[in-house]
Amino acid sequence: MALVAAAGLASPLAQAQGYAAQWLTRVQQSARSLNYTGTVLVRQGARFDTFRLAHLFENGQESEKLLSLDGPAREIVRSATEVRYYFPDAKVVRVEPRTIRNVFPSLSPEQAANLAQYYEFKLVPGGRIAGRVTEMATFEPRDGLRYAHRFWSDPATGLLLKSRLVNEKGEVIEEFAFTDVTINAKVDKDMVKPSWTSVPPDWQVTQAGPGELTQKDTGWTVNKLPPGFLKISEGFRQLAGKREPAAHLVYSDGLVAISVFIEPFVVTQTQIGLTQTGGLAQYSTRSDAYRVTVIGEAPPATVQQIGQSVTRKP
Amino acid sequence: MNENPFAPKGRPEARIAPPSGAASREATSVGANISRLMDGEVEDAEFERCVAELKSEDAMRTWMCYHVIGDTLRGAHGMSTGFSARFAGALAAEPTVLAPPPSRHRAPQPATFAWAVAATLAAVAVVAWTAFSMVEVPPTAVAKAREAATLRVAQVRPPAEVGTEYLLAHQEYSPAMVIQGGGPFLRAATATAIEPPRPQ
Repeated sequence: MALVAAAGLASPLAQAQGYAAQWLTRVQQSARSLNYTGTVLVRQGARFDTFRLAHLFENGQESEKLLSLDGPAREIVRSATEVRYYFPDAKVVRVEPRTIRNVFPSLSPEQAANLAQYYEFKLVPGGRIAGRVTEMATFEPRDGLRYAHRFWSDPATGLLLKSRLVNEKGEVIEEFAFTDVTINAKVDKDMVKPSWTSVPPDWQVTQAGPGELTQKDTGWTVNKLPPGFLKISEGFRQLAGKREPAAHLVYSDGLVAISVFIEPFVVTQTQIGLTQTGGLAQYSTRSDAYRVTVIGEAPPATVQQIGQSVTRKP
Repeated sequence: MNENPFAPKGRPEARIAPPSGAASREATSVGANISRLMDGEVEDAEFERCVAELKSEDAMRTWMCYHVIGDTLRGAHGMSTGFSARFAGALAAEPTVLAPPPSRHRAPQPATFAWAVAATLAAVAVVAWTAFSMVEVPPTAVAKAREAATLRVAQVRPPAEVGTEYLLAHQEYSPAMVIQGGGPFLRAATATAIEPPRPQ
């Protein structure tokens, strides 16, 4: 009986490829505009972290607080204008001015088409997660240049309850899951405020972060862009700890993004090559007087191919 | 016949003169491609062309030189004198298998893979030793090989973790991350736990 009822969720409309973009947009809007609290488990490769999460949406603005429950103490508080990372053990607070993320760049029709072309989308019953019956959306790549993505969401509200990134061998390389969640919870302002009303005098305050991106033609291009990826952003930004601004180009296939950074090569930055943390791959190489760094939620070979084909525009 | 009077005539002396102009550029690009082949930097699309370039005697000689020098710089030991001849003889004496056993459609096991690498290395060593005894090594080739060897040393020392400064700038662009509650900041939180900020 339950099976028959659950099977009804996968409507013919849900099977239609165009639904992928619609599904993503709904889940994103829910993550932003709902009030919720819960415990979140994050797994990257062999590493586990648990966080207490509170999310408030009020007057069109998001506020959020994440508190680490295991490992070194960390508290991340996000408001409309900045993100603050508190590290009480080290007595450090890092302040990151940030205004960009308030508006999710909704997928362009071209990106939505790419999404359908390069991933097979399915919506099926997903079983129970954090005490709720879910629906599961799967994005299976149609080539070896991307990972498979599985998402479990609450059908009633559209809130994402679990996600998995799966590599070509079928191994889960990154996972996010609520172990308990209260959706449409009563969240008041105090729950999304830092535990410290002001920074204690003996704490170090570092103003760091990615800096604002100044949209501009950087003069750089990727010659061998994997199919399905489109440039969604280009400009210069001042990275933390760097003397000169870096060119930053972002490409997306509608589901993941790959960033390309180009900065003057510094002799002390001898580390080049390929590295992987969970679902995130980084490739760094030297191109004449520049250092090219590519990171993204894609297989290392994809990231490397991009990194090796970065050149000046002719 | 409208023969182009400006077309270069066959000049045998050009063969022994130091390479210049187009010829030198071509040689350099072949050399660079060989170096990239050895470093595994050639993409699938280019691979066949680069291998085809190897089919000239000069290119093969360069290929062998790079390997000999690369191996020498890395301190790899060559084979004993006459090994290649003995190997070739033994190989010729092997019966030719006309019908290989059916493949089992199974991913190669790590051990198989390791042996395949070992076999490849052995084959390279054979070629290298042959090359060493056959050709004189031009100084540019030494420089090239040294560069290739240095590059390889650098490549085995990649950064241990994805750089936080790049992660912070990147994280908000990925739709798959942005749809999570706490979204991209969870990743930054775990990354910064690995690499805690140092008080300045």
